[in-house]
Amino acid sequence: MQSLKQQALDYTLGVLPKEESLLFEALIEEDEEAQNVLTEALDDFASLSLTAKPSKLGHEVRKRVVEHCQPKINLDPFLGSKEIETLRDTFSSFTDRYTGGGGSVDMSDLKNSVLKDDIVSNYENLIRLLPLVSGDSRAASGDFSELQNQLRSHDSFTQSVHKTLDHGLQGESPASRSVLRSALSSMPSLAFFSDRLRADQATVGDARRLFYLCRDQLKIMRSSFRDLDSERLIEDEKLRYHGAGLLRTKWWGAEHAYFSSNGKVRCGHFFDGPITERCVEFAEYDANMYCLANLLAPRSADGEFHLELLKDTVPGCTLAVTSAKMSENNFKSLASVIDRKTIVGKGLEQDIFLWDLIEDSMVRGHKNDSIKELREQMTYGYNRMNDTTYLWFAWPAIPNAQ
Amino acid sequence: MPIIKNEIWYRIKDGDASAFGELYDGFAGAMFSLSLEILGDRWEAEEVIQDVFSYLWRKPESFAPDKGKFSSWLLVITRNRSIDRYRSRKRRLDRGESDDTLAQKPDFNLVDGAEGATQSDERSHLRSAFKDLPEEQRKVLELSYFKGLNHVEISDHLDLSLGTVKSRIRLGIEKLRNSLSNLRI
Repeated sequence: MQSLKQQALDYTLGVLPKEESLLFEALIEEDEEAQNVLTEALDDFASLSLTAKPSKLGHEVRKRVVEHCQPKINLDPFLGSKEIETLRDTFSSFTDRYTGGGGSVDMSDLKNSVLKDDIVSNYENLIRLLPLVSGDSRAASGDFSELQNQLRSHDSFTQSVHKTLDHGLQGESPASRSVLRSALSSMPSLAFFSDRLRADQATVGDARRLFYLCRDQLKIMRSSFRDLDSERLIEDEKLRYHGAGLLRTKWWGAEHAYFSSNGKVRCGHFFDGPITERCVEFAEYDANMYCLANLLAPRSADGEFHLELLKDTVPGCTLAVTSAKMSENNFKSLASVIDRKTIVGKGLEQDIFLWDLIEDSMVRGHKNDSIKELREQMTYGYNRMNDTTYLWFAWPAIPNAQ
Repeated sequence: MPIIKNEIWYRIKDGDASAFGELYDGFAGAMFSLSLEILGDRWEAEEVIQDVFSYLWRKPESFAPDKGKFSSWLLVITRNRSIDRYRSRKRRLDRGESDDTLAQKPDFNLVDGAEGATQSDERSHLRSAFKDLPEEQRKVLELSYFKGLNHVEISDHLDLSLGTVKSRIRLGIEKLRNSLSNLRI
């Protein structure tokens, strides 16, 4: 009996060796006494759980949690579209997949010294910002004073993005692409939330969002400029699986902003499992997701857009899909950006850069220099079904990863 | 313990979104407090809560109502997921900050006076019962349950035999149970 009790305690604590766990599970299926002992152990540890110091949970967490009950958006029509059928027919798995780190330049490749200084200064400010928005910071408990002092000690990130864009980057050189990736992927949203905090209009949920954005932005910058912080980059380059759950966690129910527009993200039920093998690869994947979001969010008819990560829909790859209800005019504007036709709408040069950044990444990720071929294979692209516009990109899956 | 009856699980299993909201309102606080105690990081603890609720909604059959209380299962699953994260964080050493440093941080997570006053008698009783456990039993339970150390690690850490570690866990747990049953008499 004593041994049975010990087994039940160890099983509940998760310290029973695997083989013994299996035997114990078999035992509780047929032995009522073993079942009772296990139930008692569960109750005992539940009691122990309640000795934890009581803490308040923010209201916005409830919103995110109950969102799980909303019906899944039906992607079947999109997944049955001719574009995705083409992708299925043309996509072939990789044995030697790209794991990020391409598209990185040295800071010395930047000829403009003002721009270079801005990048270094932004990076340093973000490094100082990260601990002030982490989960054990004062801001996480609603005391923003320290965080606001830090944010107000330098120019707003919004100004910084505009200053970068004012340099008239054309995006042809790898160095320009790195600057644009740093300025246009996660930075606009980060700038939006940090401005809100500076202006004293923020909630704890905003501080949380800023934490994820800050963390992402730092990784995107390190993967864009290889000598910006080589010490931390060594960590980013280590082999380490990154699960789709990381993306679900930060995007689920999030507010997203891109310059003057902001909207709400709705997520699907992302698959469980790894998506990238190194931080530098994750940073690239992440930047692509931000680019898709930045293209869609300002054009969404109701301010909302949908994110989904799918695996096995197209064998051998993961598929990132974003979609939004969109007016015909906004769709035309988006299509003109992507197809480089006469641009419909003003001030859309930045959107062209966003699409360029995705294309660059597809070239690296699929190890194919031919953009034309990648587009024909529907490796990435856009389409419209009824009033919904879809943007997607495929990324080679990690073989044999669960 | 906040009252969460198994009946709510049947409703959730049937896809009743209001039951899901009721469960959150009645029990997420206790789950979050536990996760935060283990992780010391509000965002990570929120992620755990989100993950557990998402898992429950997608796979309600993971709980078997004939095998115990729903509330106990929820707390233990929250503990296990929090410990998984804690261990993985320790492995990564992302922060370069020791657990001791974390433990010494000022406490930003205390509930306000009003909420503190409404904590159930049972919870405050449990907390004082835990505090009153002999130091050696409390320490072993803390390391095992809240820090996720296995018996061998505890034995090395405290320089005890494996048998002593196990018996202290067992005795500590039994004392807590007795203390709770005295309260209910």
